[in-house]
Amino acid sequence: MKILNIYRSEPDSTTKTLVEIVTRDRDSDSFFLNTDTTPNYDKLVDMIFEADQTICWW
Amino acid sequence: MSYKKVCLMYRHKDYAVDGIRSALGLAVENMYAYGVVLDTELETFDENTQESIEMLRDMEGDIFSTIPANVEKNGLTAITLEELGEKLREMTHIVPYGIK
Amino acid sequence: MAKSLGIFVTTQESLPHVLGITKAAKAKGSNVKIFFTWIATHSTKDPLFPLICEIADDVSICVDSYKKQGYDINDIPPGLTAKKMATQAQHGIIIEDFDCYLSL
Repeated sequence: MKILNIYRSEPDSTTKTLVEIVTRDRDSDSFFLNTDTTPNYDKLVDMIFEADQTICWW
Repeated sequence: MSYKKVCLMYRHKDYAVDGIRSALGLAVENMYAYGVVLDTELETFDENTQESIEMLRDMEGDIFSTIPANVEKNGLTAITLEELGEKLREMTHIVPYGIK
Repeated sequence: MAKSLGIFVTTQESLPHVLGITKAAKAKGSNVKIFFTWIATHSTKDPLFPLICEIADDVSICVDSYKKQGYDINDIPPGLTAKKMATQAQHGIIIEDFDCYLSL
């Protein structure tokens, strides 16, 4: 099971706790949308296609 | 056929009530649908929202909250953040709804 | 063949991301369906919205949300048709029938 965590803003303690539990003993990757430059959407779509589950956190 | 299990989570009060309606919409489509209110204390629900939650519970879904006031005032089911994390592991779809 | 992608939009702020991801997914040959709900229905007034409708395979909005956000349901946003002023069942279709799921 591979999980992709996408973040729309800087993860706070609530998000971090949930991510830690959800990804425990599982493969995971992360992608940040809250960057100063335009995100690499091409790479993001590849990562979404490769993941078994994508979670886009607040 | 395996049924989808979906958990929607709401952290901002402006999104919670509609998010509950959204969970009900999925339960009607034959999915296990859950909602969780985090961070925010909500006003007492109107009759429509109370009915939506009752219907959702009739369809084996539920609305939880990590905030005791929402449990007391609106009858939401209590859950801790750690319990929520464990519950999310069973979900096929996890939806952080709206903004925080 | 590229996987299909369903996007459930609950925030207005994500609209540029919806466009960027839709463009990238379409360039890879993906089938993309998007559903806007609640406060995100304000996005229908953004100039990016008709562009997204043009690129994606299917775009619909929750008509009940649109009405509750203060719009007239007969005022159909550019890029949509009356049939695309829809219900939460569209979210159900995204979950059931699409390979990949994204909420924004």
